[in-house]
Formats: sequence, structure tokens, C-alpha cells
Amino acid sequence: MTRRTALAGSVGVAAGGIASLPFLLPKYDEVRRPRRSRVAILPAHSYSHHLEQLLMEGMRLFKLDVRGKRVLLKPNLVDYIPGAEINTHPSLVVAAAECFRRLGALEVIVGEGPGHQRDTELVLIESGFAQQLRDHRIPFVDLNRRELIKTKLRATYTGLDRLWLPRAVVEADFVVSMPKVKAHHWAGVTLSMKNMFGVVPGAKYGWPKNILHWRGIQQSIVDICATVPIHFVIADAVVAMEGNGPLAGTPRPLNRIILANDPVAADATCARLMGFIPERIPHIAEGAKFLGNSSVDLIDQLAQPVTAANPPFRVVPEFRNLSAS
Amino acid sequence: MRTGSEYTQRLQEILLASETATGGWSYDPAEAQPHLEPTCLSLLALRYCAEPRVTRGLEFLLQSQNPNGSWPAFAGDDQEGCWVTALAVLTLTQFRAGPNAVERGVNWLLNSKGKESHWLWKWKFRTSDTHVRFDPDKFGWPWMPDTNSWVMPTSFALLALRQCFPSYRPSRVRVRITHGIAMLFDRVCPNGGWNAGNGVVYGVPLAPHLDATAIALLALRGQKQNPIITASLSWLEDRAPFCSAPSSLAWSILALRAHGQIVTGQIERLAYLANTAPIHDSATLATVALALGCANGKNVFEVQS
Repeated sequence: MTRRTALAGSVGVAAGGIASLPFLLPKYDEVRRPRRSRVAILPAHSYSHHLEQLLMEGMRLFKLDVRGKRVLLKPNLVDYIPGAEINTHPSLVVAAAECFRRLGALEVIVGEGPGHQRDTELVLIESGFAQQLRDHRIPFVDLNRRELIKTKLRATYTGLDRLWLPRAVVEADFVVSMPKVKAHHWAGVTLSMKNMFGVVPGAKYGWPKNILHWRGIQQSIVDICATVPIHFVIADAVVAMEGNGPLAGTPRPLNRIILANDPVAADATCARLMGFIPERIPHIAEGAKFLGNSSVDLIDQLAQPVTAANPPFRVVPEFRNLSAS
Repeated sequence: MRTGSEYTQRLQEILLASETATGGWSYDPAEAQPHLEPTCLSLLALRYCAEPRVTRGLEFLLQSQNPNGSWPAFAGDDQEGCWVTALAVLTLTQFRAGPNAVERGVNWLLNSKGKESHWLWKWKFRTSDTHVRFDPDKFGWPWMPDTNSWVMPTSFALLALRQCFPSYRPSRVRVRITHGIAMLFDRVCPNGGWNAGNGVVYGVPLAPHLDATAIALLALRGQKQNPIITASLSWLEDRAPFCSAPSSLAWSILALRAHGQIVTGQIERLAYLANTAPIHDSATLATVALALGCANGKNVFEVQS
């Protein structure tokens, strides 16, 4: 080897190293993963009036301190299709609001920005949310149509750098993601992390929020969850959905409510309950690098144990690899 | 019980009182950041009010135009532009104001296309990404740049272009209108009506939405009757009487009226809804005022055949 070829080789290696640097560097600004996470699986066979008591007992396991805080409950409110279980049940949302009030929250609001149906009020009325929220004097905020703040993203999976987000979300002290546990035809699953698509405002990004699809659904989920911390999860798996979710799937009762103080741990546990391997779901796998814990070794399992659905939840063909079988 | 015109007048008073301090309207009157959609709809609802606040709103609309001719979604937004450009053009056309602003807005609209119109993405949607049933050759307008065409922004763009060019249409305008109409027909739900733009996903038909169907039908008014328009009108006629949300009901009334249907019952229902529960959202309030007013006056969203 001559000096010239050695030099050319070194320059080539250096250039290759520089070019690949963006792919090797972490795509998040800090690791916020807790040392350990807590997940509670509560049995619930219906959306009965016992929900509030059940939730309160479950939430006590977490020793939550929300005294004096502004709590934002973010349910999954997509559309209304008679007979279809596509939204977080309003009774669960109301029960959660009452629990946070009892725990001393300064204010509890429910906020959502549906991504498919533009008339949020219509979805609220037809799904039964409007009546229940009114009866319990719980304010609702349409996150599609509120004052917006330009917010720097705390991860760079999409390359978007910034998103306009509602002030009501950015300034909430305590964000509770309340997903409906569903299989999803584009994302594999829609759980507490995917549920946060609803904080991205339609007034800016449209119905659907198509920029997030173009930038990658899995990537967008991670960027949003890195930027808007989820402090607690209450997942509705009393009646979940399998197949062609989020709208056209089939109801699948799991008879459970999942609580967690870590969205990654919550979603990994829900995925296991659905019969999936969470590490095969890209946003859970990436989230486990810096946002939370997906490993069972790092999750304190409370109340009921994790028992995988048998058979696993049905999914569209592209996500057949999610289940072990 | 108030009459329709008394309601309209009352709603107009509320709208006038809820204009932001800087001009323009926010969705939530308690917030100070004006958005362009409620601003345009409020101005349209107030177009016969000789009020300084209307003039100020119109000035805000003109001043909000981006350097590239588009309009932002809200005051302070990035300057790339978005779907409300169509609504802004339509509003200024109704007011016969800002001809230069309208011309620049129309130019921006004519250059704005769904991302699927590019050959590379057409190829992708034809070969690997085929789970949503649509023909990428039939493209319209996106909500924001660098995204796909969707039903509502396409409908608003068609309304704006058809109102701006009621008779003579330059070929550039004609071509986009033809493509946009073809796109709406392509994205219709199997039994009539439209939703955001996904009629069939993974082989499963999805349900239409009232507001999307109504706005698409407004954009298609004057088209030769065909089974798609007939089925969609029929779906809207069947569903509207049971609608309990003011915004969707108001859009339904505007569309049914534009297609020559009798809407007396729906107007009474809308007035009842507006009377029983206060409407906080300015865009909804303005749409309701426009719908209640269309029985007697001109329908601002009606395009000539």
C-alpha cells in the first residue's frame, strides 16, 4: 500500500464516518426513562357505576400527587359509528375526572382533537360524551381549534424540528393519556403513545393530520411523546378492538383497565395482553430507549398478572409479525 | 320563540362582539389568537352589516396574506400557507375586496396540489401503498403543503375557483377544476357521501360525514346529475333531520338548499338547537348564521351552474 492509497483510504473512512454520524447519534435530547415503572391491571367486566371506586383503588397504588395541578385527560375520541367500540368509554373518562378531583387536582379538563371527523361536537354528542361531561361539569377542550404555541420537538425521528401545539396541552401540569386499546392498520396498535396524535391541532395540520403520516407514523408517535410528557395512563381494555382498527375492527373484550406511570410500560403491557411482542412495535421499541421501560424486568406489575390473549388479537397482514405465533 | 331572521341578527351581534382586539376571530372567543377559518366564516355571516368591526376584520384578512399569496391558518403561523387560502379568496370575492390579494391567492391555489400528483408518489400509491382505494391521477388540494389531497380542502378550493371565475375560465383554472371534481367523484364513499377522503380502507367501506358530504355537494353544484350526486344528496337528506350538532346541520342546510331541496324543517331544528344550548365556537356560530340566513337571502356557498 502506498502512502497515497493509505491517505485516500483514511479520507474515505473519515468521510463515511461523518456521513453516517446522523444515523449513529441518538434522536432524542435526553433519557427520561425511569429506573423502574409501575403498571396495574384492574379487572373490569363492564362500564358500570363501580368504575370510579375501582379506579380510585388502582390509582392509590401509584401514590399520585396531583394536588393543585391542572390535569388534562386525553381520551381517544375518533368518530361515532353505532355499535362500534372505537372510543374510550365516556364513563371511564368521567370516573377518572372524579378521581383526580378527589385527589386534589386544581382543575380537570378533557381534551381531544379528533383526526378523522371534523365536527368534534357531533362526535361528543353522538358518543354520549357531551351528556356525561355536562352532567359532571367537566370542561371539554377541542384541541383542534385552540390557541397554538410553536413548540420545539424533543426528538428528531420525523425531522420536523417544531410543531404547533395547543397551549392547553403545553401548559397542563399533568397529562393523562386514556387510550382505547385497539389494533391499528397503519401503526400496529393504538395505545397511550399513539393516542397523543390527538394533541396535534387539525386547524393547522388538517383532518387527518396527514403530515404525520408522511413523516412516518411510528416516528411521529415518538417525537410527540418526547415533547408532550405523559404523566399517567388509564387504558380502556374493557372492550378492546382487533382487526382493521382504529375504525373498522371487531370488538374484543379484554375486561381490564390498565393504569401506569410510564407510557412505554403501559403500551408494552397492553401489547402483551393483546398477544403481541412489544419489541416488534417500532414506537414502543424506540420509546424504550429513552422514554420508558418495556422490559418486564423493569416493570413492577400490580393487581392482576399479564396474561396474553389467546388467540392473539387479529391484525392486518402487514402486522402479522407482532404476535409470537 | 325567535324567528329565523331574529336568530340570524342575534348571532351576528354575538359575532360582532367576539372579534379579537387585533381584528379577526378565534374559534374560542375567550382566546386572543385569531384563526383564519372563523375569521372568513364570520365575515361572510356579517357581509351585510355596515359595521367598523367588519371593516377591521376585512383589513385583518388582507394583512394576513403571506408573501407567496397564500393565507396562514392563524395569526403568527408559518408562512407556507394552507387550505384556508380558498376560504379567504371566497370571502374577498364575496366582499368584492382586495382584487390583487385575490389574484395572488388564486395563483397560489392553482400551484397547490396533493402530493400524490407527483409521478413518484403516484407510482408508490399504484404499486406498494394500495390499501386506501383511490386513483392518484385524480388529485385535488391538500390541507397543507407536502401532503395528500383531501375532500374538504378540495371542495373549498373548487368553491373559491368557481366563484372567482363564474363564466370565463382560463385553461389553467379549467384544468384544476376538472381534476378537482374528478377527485371528489373518485373519493366518494360506496353508498354516497364523503368523509375526509378515505372511502374504502383495506377493502372495508367507511362511513360518510355530514359536513364533508355537504361541502363536497356545494362544490359540485351545477354538475350534471349523476348517480354519485344523487346518492350523496339522498344520504344527506336522510341523515340531516337527525343531526344534533349545529355545525354539521348548518352545512347540510347550505348544501341541500343549494341543490334546490326544501330545508324548512332543518332550519327549524337548527334554530331549536341554537336556542337550547349556547354555541361557543365562532366558526360554528358563523356557519349557523349563514345557514339560517340562506332561507331568505343568498347562499354564499352557492356556485352558478
